[in-house]
Amino acid sequence: MIGFLQSIFGEFYGKMIFILLDATQYTIYLSLVAFIGGGLIGLVMTVLKILPNRATRIFATSYIWLFQSIPLLMLLFLIGLGVPSFFKVDVSPWLAAGISLTLFTSAYMSEVWRGALESVPNGQWEGARALGMTFRQTLLDVIAPQALRIATPPTVGFMVQVIKGTSMAYIIDFTDLMRWGKKIANSQVPGAEPFIVFPIVALIYFALCFPLSQWSKAMERKQALGKTR
Amino acid sequence: MIQSQAAPQQASDDIAVTLKGVNKWYGDFQVLRDINLTVQRGERIVICGPSGSGKSTLIRCINHLESHQEGTITVDGVTLSDKMKDVEKLRRDAGMVFQNFNLFPHLSVLDNCILPQRRVLKRSKAEAREVGMKFLTRVRIPEQADKFPGQLSGGQQQRVAIARALCMEPSLMLFDEPTSALDPEMVGEVLETMVELAGTGMTMLCVTHEMGFAREVADRVIFMDAWQIVEENTPDAFFDNPQNERTQNFLSQIL
Amino acid sequence: MFDFRFYEIWRSQDYIDTLILGVWNSFWLTVVGSFFGITLGILLALAQGREMPLWLRIPAVSYVEFIRNTPFIVQLFFVVFGLPLLLGYAWSLEASVVLAIALNFSAYFGEVIRAGIQSVPAGQSEGAMALGMSRWQTIRDVILPQAIAKVFPSMTSQFVFLFLTTGLVSEIGVKDLTWAGRYVADRTFRDFEVFIVLTILYMGMVYLFKGGFALMFRAAFPWWGKSR
Repeated sequence: MIGFLQSIFGEFYGKMIFILLDATQYTIYLSLVAFIGGGLIGLVMTVLKILPNRATRIFATSYIWLFQSIPLLMLLFLIGLGVPSFFKVDVSPWLAAGISLTLFTSAYMSEVWRGALESVPNGQWEGARALGMTFRQTLLDVIAPQALRIATPPTVGFMVQVIKGTSMAYIIDFTDLMRWGKKIANSQVPGAEPFIVFPIVALIYFALCFPLSQWSKAMERKQALGKTR
Repeated sequence: MIQSQAAPQQASDDIAVTLKGVNKWYGDFQVLRDINLTVQRGERIVICGPSGSGKSTLIRCINHLESHQEGTITVDGVTLSDKMKDVEKLRRDAGMVFQNFNLFPHLSVLDNCILPQRRVLKRSKAEAREVGMKFLTRVRIPEQADKFPGQLSGGQQQRVAIARALCMEPSLMLFDEPTSALDPEMVGEVLETMVELAGTGMTMLCVTHEMGFAREVADRVIFMDAWQIVEENTPDAFFDNPQNERTQNFLSQIL
Repeated sequence: MFDFRFYEIWRSQDYIDTLILGVWNSFWLTVVGSFFGITLGILLALAQGREMPLWLRIPAVSYVEFIRNTPFIVQLFFVVFGLPLLLGYAWSLEASVVLAIALNFSAYFGEVIRAGIQSVPAGQSEGAMALGMSRWQTIRDVILPQAIAKVFPSMTSQFVFLFLTTGLVSEIGVKDLTWAGRYVADRTFRDFEVFIVLTILYMGMVYLFKGGFALMFRAAFPWWGKSR
């Protein structure tokens, strides 16, 4: 890999790009952890929020409100620096970054999914209930499939926010693309000036995010077309 | 037919609009076919025909909201080219009233009348205001001047739209199905305003299905079908003795 | 079981002053940055119009996509550390930060405003042009006011989302609210309490901004929602 990169970009830049790409894998892992973990918790919160039960609804609403209001940066500080100093426990950067981004993702995801569920016309609930279907059957067989279609584009779109969000994790010493970019830019080596390194770092992030946002947009457009027909 | 052929011999000062051999396509699909029409100053013309016959397209070509590919359109002696200056001058001379009013929802009724005067005619605020009130009074809704369009009924909105167009002191008024989007009980008030306007000697081209209005006001009725002019005549002759089979069919359906 | 010691934070006037200064700096940097960001965003939205020439549309679209698909922190570091080296000219830290915020916000606002412009019915510009108004007059006096009113709620939530990322400017030594928090935390060793206080301050600022936006909306668009 490094040899291949060096044959294209020359020895110096080939090595730089190799280091950055190597660090990018941790950006991807963290994004996946946050997306999967956040997705699961978000799903639970979405269900709690629409269950016909006051207590669960209040709990889910407060959860979503809380973690949407706390800036991601504060979450990272709270869990990465605050928790260790307050509870006298060790929290590895991996764990802190994973938890922070999971909480952040879950709140936004359940907000998106709840919106999708609500955008399914009320008549669909009433129709299914009138046919004698239970709440569970209605939700799983009638509402969820329709909501899923609506929710997919913004869910994919939010992946972009998650990936961009992981770039903040370097602040609590998480080793990722951003951290290595900063390290190289600070190295004072000629040819590794900030105005060269950061655009390369940006391009790598762009390569991760752009396909996702285009995919999300394409799906949205397709749905909009389907609606007008 | 006789009138439109006789027209070119008259002094050009008396002619408001001339269309010569106008053709228009959307891609491969022809939407106007060899349109020839001369409108005398002060003449009131009603254009009717089945929907999709090209009548709205025709009227929208006259003030260049849509462009045609072949033929010439002359308004007040200005022949349409793509030069923006010409187009803007022409649009000043030709007021237009739309089916959906197209009032500006973010401006009060009076400000709807003031804005174009200020921007296009460069009138002072006081003058624009005075002119605006004059025409709002003319269409009998001066008391609504400070309301927003959304707060008015459809009929009132369309009267505001007429007043707004008149504020620009046009020499010609184009009406594109001005009553089609209205609830039936509001059609009357708008037609009344248009009849009054006709009484002032304004040159008017109206696309409308209101045959009562056509009979009462029009000097000439033009029937369009399949993107061309099929028949034109005085209202009495048109309604009582239609020549073309398609006209007869159309009239039997709507009357 | 929990040993909260919030009093450590307000024991020292220095800490309180630092936090207050942090709130103020976060506030004005965001407001000034947004002002330029919204202005640039409007231009970006207009440049993407269907009737605009390709040499304007392509750079505008590319810029918006590039900014929206890269993290703010990378843009910030590029503007603050990269640009001065590249241009051979350094301006103040605050100016760099405002520039970075404006460049970042403009892409997001541009995207929102573009959607707003598209949502204004075609009849509005036809109505204006039929009255003889020029293209530019039509955009400025008829299309933009309606477009911005329509997307004002999404602009507000977009603004809040972006505001919550501005804490990153503490990374380059700007004494914003996040910087103030770290300053206090480093001295009191009460990180947990400090960041809870910081979170509350950020939330308070969010509500302040939301209230401000609501007031602005009512002042700027009195016609909104006025219907029979």
